[in-house]
Amino acid sequence: MKKIITSLLSLSMALSMVTGAAVTANAEEAGDITLDVIICQYGPNTNDWFLGTGMDGSNFVEKFEAENPGIKLNLDVVSWNDVYTEVDTRIANNNAPDILNIDVFANYANEGLLLPVSDYCPEDLFEDFFPSFIEQSVIDDTVWAVPDLASARALFCNVDIFEEVGIDYPTTWAELEDACQAIIDYYDGEVYPWGIDMTTDEGQAAFAYYVWGNGGGFVDENGEWAVNSDENVEAINFALSLIDNGYTNPNPATQTRYDLQDMFAAGKLAMVIAPNQLPTYVADKGGDINMVTVNIPANDGKASSSVGVMDRVMAFKDDTAGDQDARNEAIGKFLKFFYDPENYVGWVSMEGFLPAVNSAVEALVAADPSFEAWLDVLAGCQFYPTAKAEWDQVKQGVIAAEQNALTGADIQDELDALQADLVG
Amino acid sequence: MNTVKGKRKWEPYIWLLPSVLLISVFVVFPIIIVFRLSFSEISKAGVVGGFNGFQNYIDAVNLPAFKTVMQNTLWWVLSVVGLSTLLGFIIALVFNQKFAGRKIARSIMIFPWATSLVIQASVWNYIIKYEYGNLNNVLLNLGIIKEAINWRSSYQIEFVWECACGIFVTVPFVTFCVLSGLQSIDEALYESATVDGAGFWKKLFSITLPLVKPSLSVSTVLNIIYVFNSFPIVYTMTKGAPANKTDTMITYLYMLSFYDRKKGPAIALSVIGFVILCVCAGVYMLAVMRKEEER
Repeated sequence: MKKIITSLLSLSMALSMVTGAAVTANAEEAGDITLDVIICQYGPNTNDWFLGTGMDGSNFVEKFEAENPGIKLNLDVVSWNDVYTEVDTRIANNNAPDILNIDVFANYANEGLLLPVSDYCPEDLFEDFFPSFIEQSVIDDTVWAVPDLASARALFCNVDIFEEVGIDYPTTWAELEDACQAIIDYYDGEVYPWGIDMTTDEGQAAFAYYVWGNGGGFVDENGEWAVNSDENVEAINFALSLIDNGYTNPNPATQTRYDLQDMFAAGKLAMVIAPNQLPTYVADKGGDINMVTVNIPANDGKASSSVGVMDRVMAFKDDTAGDQDARNEAIGKFLKFFYDPENYVGWVSMEGFLPAVNSAVEALVAADPSFEAWLDVLAGCQFYPTAKAEWDQVKQGVIAAEQNALTGADIQDELDALQADLVG
Repeated sequence: MNTVKGKRKWEPYIWLLPSVLLISVFVVFPIIIVFRLSFSEISKAGVVGGFNGFQNYIDAVNLPAFKTVMQNTLWWVLSVVGLSTLLGFIIALVFNQKFAGRKIARSIMIFPWATSLVIQASVWNYIIKYEYGNLNNVLLNLGIIKEAINWRSSYQIEFVWECACGIFVTVPFVTFCVLSGLQSIDEALYESATVDGAGFWKKLFSITLPLVKPSLSVSTVLNIIYVFNSFPIVYTMTKGAPANKTDTMITYLYMLSFYDRKKGPAIALSVIGFVILCVCAGVYMLAVMRKEEER
């Protein structure tokens, strides 16, 4: 008897594995549209806001479904470390999400996987986005994604250190070198004057800070790749000279921006280029730093430029959907609900980001007047050329070039090789 | 009687069915898919195109970092498996002796192996940190050094730290494998060897080593596979920086696929890794089995 029971149990275990998926698939109610949504985890509150109790005791999914009967959300909050793996795997398995929140979009658009924004975004909402943000998501005159939020970078200086040493905040590269030397002399190496992050995580940002401050860039005036321009080589050589002169953190290839922010919060670093959330980050770390933001120093006679980072929301095609119009309408309703100032203001301010729509500005500035200064910084920002198909290659290429240069390679040779790959 | 025999015939297969299904779905099927994908064109977004022969393999071998990564992988496996086997064996010999606190020592020994590799690697990162790392703090407080030392001053040293962390987490596994072998050796063998005048080294090479060989073989084969496939230590400590110079094959193919978005060469590399691993483990097993048969 025992043997029969155990045999039956084994058989039922095997069968349950096979049938489990089918049962799940039938659970959905007929007639409902279900949208698969992937949201990136921006911070500790993201999950709670979308799925927990972070939205006035409720959450985004519950509130959306209550307000939009007939539309169900199958929403996942995925960490930035895993989101590319998750999305690519799903695409490879013909199971792309309906709505995706991520930073890049060009590969998906170029491979015909995305819906044009005009297919699903209500016109009044589209008009509400900052036009300069929308321009960053255009390929061949078509808008493929909308911005969900942004952040801008500026130079944060430790006021107490500058007052102690008796120097002004640097605006040019020459002044920066003088300030670094003065800080080194005063603190005898106990404080790093300048932070550099050339890591695999964000080495492209370091590249941008220096080349944009020297009139260079990733692309030329015609929008063609120009990573090995004279300005770029001069700029990266300047950055490398700061490291060689001992003005920076010792291991720029492995010390990430978060390591630098930790040092800044501990008073060990005098200057760091960081996003607008740095004061919150320092406070969370228990730091009490008297800090000020200034423009990122540029070469003599060249304009300072801040780096804007923007993430996006995009919708994937789904040829298997029965009623395409109803699906597009559902995606539009999702966007309307997300960008409704009543919801969106809470979302943006919760994680300390900058908004992407005009309708949120007034409420955000009223809640925190410091937002206004950052909105000005944002207006003058340059963005990475993420609409170009080769951006992944360029991003990893400039990081590899910097890291090879850190181990003794010539940056001119490195950037020449990358440029040859791009145009060849 | 016949019915009972008939039932017994199919009964084992039902018992095996869940395991076979699990292995088929989660091991065999993905391996077949990866082999098929390695001969297919794959876009940056992961869309699978048509058959493209050996192009992914050619692209993988021609990658600038390929040679460095293969060399690193070889050093990584040799040093971690070799040194952890040697150290694990020595520690097992010590743990096999009777001394006060042996149980506690054995329990502590399991910690590095039982802890998550990501946590281990993060802790090592904190230990060797230049600014406020524990190693510098301890040495400064003891007055051994006068100023903090940059323990990660070059990529070669970074790689040595990765190997050190790998050895630290692998030693316990070898220790316990060898210890189980040591405990099965009859004490009488050592007693008669002592009577015959054998010293420590003679007993070690003539009794201990031959008798723990099966345990050592198992731990070595498993370690070759685990260490070759190890991802968290390298990824957490350096992410392969600078410019893939501290990458091993597994971390490199991940970076290739999800950072560089060169998915075709990444899949080809994973197949190359699989084949290398099968050959290494196979040759080792055959050599061990042949020696066993000879005896």
